[in-house]
Formats: sequence, C-alpha cells, structure tokens
Amino acid sequence: MSYIEIKDLEISFPTPKGKYTAVMDINLSINKGEIISIIGHSGCGKSTILNAIAGMLTPTEGSVVVDNKKIQGPGPDRGIVFQNYSLLPWLTVYQNIFQVVDSVVNGSKAEKQAIVEKNLKMVNLYEHKDKLPGQLSGGMKQRVAIARAFAINPGVLLMDEPFGALDALTKGTMQLEVLKLWNLDNREKTIIMITHDIEEALFLSDRIIVLNNGPASTIKEIVEVHLPRPRNKIEIVKMPEYIDLRDKLLHLLTDHFSIEDMGMVYKK
Amino acid sequence: MSEIETITPPIREEAASTPLSAPKNTTFESKWKSNQILEASKSIFFAVIGLVAFGGLWELLSYTTEEALPKPITTLTVLFEMVSDPFYDYGPNDKGIGLQLFNSIKTVFLGFILGSIVAIPIGILMGASTIYKQIFYPIVQLLKPVSPLAWFPIGLVVFKDTGMATIFIVFITSLWSTLINTAFGVGSIPQDHKNVAKAFGFSKKRYLTKILIPYSLPHIITGLRLSISVAWLVIVAGEMLSGGSGIGFFVWDSWNALSLEKVISAIIIIGIVGLLFDKLFTYIENKVAYKA
Repeated sequence: MSYIEIKDLEISFPTPKGKYTAVMDINLSINKGEIISIIGHSGCGKSTILNAIAGMLTPTEGSVVVDNKKIQGPGPDRGIVFQNYSLLPWLTVYQNIFQVVDSVVNGSKAEKQAIVEKNLKMVNLYEHKDKLPGQLSGGMKQRVAIARAFAINPGVLLMDEPFGALDALTKGTMQLEVLKLWNLDNREKTIIMITHDIEEALFLSDRIIVLNNGPASTIKEIVEVHLPRPRNKIEIVKMPEYIDLRDKLLHLLTDHFSIEDMGMVYKK
Repeated sequence: MSEIETITPPIREEAASTPLSAPKNTTFESKWKSNQILEASKSIFFAVIGLVAFGGLWELLSYTTEEALPKPITTLTVLFEMVSDPFYDYGPNDKGIGLQLFNSIKTVFLGFILGSIVAIPIGILMGASTIYKQIFYPIVQLLKPVSPLAWFPIGLVVFKDTGMATIFIVFITSLWSTLINTAFGVGSIPQDHKNVAKAFGFSKKRYLTKILIPYSLPHIITGLRLSISVAWLVIVAGEMLSGGSGIGFFVWDSWNALSLEKVISAIIIIGIVGLLFDKLFTYIENKVAYKA
C-alpha cells in the first residue's frame, strides 16, 4: 500500500441551487518521498483535493488514507503552506513559528525553541526573527510559511500555490529552497503542491496530476516526469524529454491553440 | 491675526536647532522636520482662526442679547477663578470644580469599567457563536436605543442610592458600543487565521490569546472609545437628576444660582475632558493596531 491513498474521492457542497460537486472520482496513490504537482485551470478543484488531504474538508464520498490512517481532520503529520502565507500579522516571525511548534510538538520549551531556531536558519531568516510579517517582502513571508510547515516535521507537505504571488526571480529561488529542504531531509517528505505553472511543475515534480475543468472535475491525466535529479533549470529545458513533456502538458491544459480555433476569423 | 504671528516664530527657531542632533542625512531630516513643522503650524493657524471666529460670534450674540448670554471675557474670567482654586470644599453645595470633576470622572470610570467587564465577554461570545448572537442580539437591539436616563428610576429602586443609580446608568450606557464592536471584531476574523488554528491544532486557549483577542483588540478599543464618550455625555445629565455632586450637578446648581458664566465654564471643562478621553483611547487604538 502506498503512503497516501486517495480512493473514489468526491467533494460536494450544498448550495441554494442544490448540490455542487467540486471534484469526483479521484483515485491516486502517492509514494513516500514523492513530489506531486496538481495542475489545472482556476476553479477546477485543485485546492479542494489538497484540503481533503489536509483534513480541512471532509470527503462527501470516498476516503483519504495517509500512512494507513484514514484522514478525519487536520493533523501534525501534514504541514500546510497556505496560498496567501496566512501568517498572523501581530506575531513576530519567531512567534509565528513558535506558536505552531508549541501547539503540535511535545517537549520542553528549550527543545521547541531549538526547533524554531533551526527552521529559521534553514530558510535564512534568523536575523529577521523579531520582525512582524508586515515588515517582510513576499518571498520572506513565504519562507516563514514554509519554515512553519517544516517545523512540525510532517511526513507530508501540502502547498497551495506556494509561489503564485512571487515575482519570477524570487519564485526561482524559492523552488530551489524547497528542493534543498527536501534533500536535507533525505527526500523522505512527500510534497503535494498546487500550481498554475507548467515549468514549475516540471522542475519540481515526479508526477503531475492534470485535472479537467470544473465543476465535477476528474483527473484528466497523470504525467510522469523522469528527468534526472538533481535538476538544473538551465540544463533540463534543453532536454528533449523536457520539451516533449512541456508540449504534452500545454496540449492538456490548452483547449484552443489559436483564436481561429475559437471560431474567429481575421480579416486581412 | 496678531495671535498667529506670535505663534509661528518660536517654532521656526526649533526647526533651525534640530539638525544639530543628527549629523547624518542632515539635509533630508531637517527638510522632513521643517515640513512637519510647517504642517503643524498650519493646523494651529486654522484652529486659531476657528476659535477666533467662534469667539467673535459669541461676543456678537451676547451683545445682541444685552449680555443675557455673558460675554466671552467675563466667562473666561470666571473660568480662570474656578480653575485657580479647584479643590476647596465649603460643604455639600459649594465645592471646587476640581472636586466635582473628580467625582464625575470617578463615577464614569466605575460604570464604564463595570460595563466593559460585562460587554467584552458577551461581545466575544456573540461574535464567535451564532447561537449566542441569536440569544443576545434582539435584546441589544431592543435596549440600545433607550435613553440611558430612562434607567435612572430602575437604578434608584434597585440600589436605593442616587450615587449608585448614576453609576448604573453609566454602566448601561457603556455596554452597547463595546458589545457591538467586540462582536463585529470577533465575527470578522478572516478564514485564513482560523485555518491556521485548525491546520495546526490550536487549543481553545491558544486560539483565544493568539488569534481572537489580537485580531479583535483594535475593534474592542474603538468600542470602548465610543462607549466612554457616550458615558461622558450621560454623566452630566445623570448628575443633574441625581444631584449632590459632580460636574452635572455643578451645571444645574450654577443655573439655579443664575450664574451662566459658571455654566458655560463648566461646559468648556466638560468638552476638554471629553476630548482628552477621546485622545487617550485613540492613542491606545493606535498602539494595538497591527499592519496586515
């Protein structure tokens, strides 16, 4: 049995117009230490799947099993990096991480402090530990959010569009940061992330889950990425395999390739 | 206009002396400072214009009413006499303005603190839970528009004491704004913050102290600020009813003694104290505010 088993997952919400099904028939097995990207258009239920694994949403049908335990709610075995960082603005960087560690980890205060400091150093934010989130740049906030998720040492790291709000340069650095942390941890953490970005998915993932458009999205295709690790951004883009995968994903995600395909005719 | 000219020059001197303290970035710092000073002197300038115009109108009114309304200068003389000996005590009907003011402030704070102790927890419950909101909100809506003075007889019956009855009406007055603002603050905690608590398994206590209270504190303080300003409005009327002591009683007593100068002086003092309350709470509000 794989580390994460998603079986016949369906998530629906009651609405004034009746039942709204966000995702259905999701079946997925994920191995320990895999990096998985979920990709798809806005509103196709990517976050819904992630939230079901996180335990923030209860499945309408089916189940999510992590490490042989059925998910009933959020737990310390799964760390979440939220889409918009979700740091508490009145707490310092240090306190933002400490409160979470203090809530989840058993141990003495000194041990907890050591964990916080270690994780702050890992994302190079130790000098900024006494700042408030409002004083940080977007990339720094994201690093705090990642350090917070890593600090509870979860088996699974769930990231909802973690780099969506960052500029291209910061994004590149942050992708490397995450890979670095994953490597430091002997590639034992399973990472599931949501993204819009095909190149990001290819650079980071072992497998890419492509979803159909919502509502009632299903898995359209699972694309395996066999690019050798460690991956170098400049080198992999030249590999024929990379180019094929990118084209494939573009096809999967783009229904119409040109304006003419949508029934428009240019008058020349 | 002469008053304005006397105000500005000393400020300019200050501007000239400040750059000495900061050797680095001197020009920009002094530029920034002189800009600040310019803005400050502008606002003083316009405030003085307003006050002078107000004084002029007052003077005109007392002139047209043949001094039935006392002239500003006679009033200010009386005010000055009152303030220069504020703490004398010649028996129950003749106390200095400082003592009366002290009594009023004491009553307001007692009622206000008691009211806040009741209002903040109920407000938190109302904001955090729909059930409590459904229980309390109709009561709040029903009682909030009632003039606090209408509670005075009830206070008298229950406490059999005018002093206690006055505290009681201040207590009632202090409830509503604090209650409503607290409930609103707690009710508007963003889902993002709640998700953090849920995802990382925060205990009730941790949620309360690290998310709920820090988030809603600015709203609570705004509620307190509104409450105390209404309480300060009500105390004057309350003390007119209860008699015996306080600034409201002083106003009523002065009216009975036909000393309109004293009445107006008391009004000025009431206004200043109200302004100071407001400034105090605005200061606290800014202290607890956070940047998202």
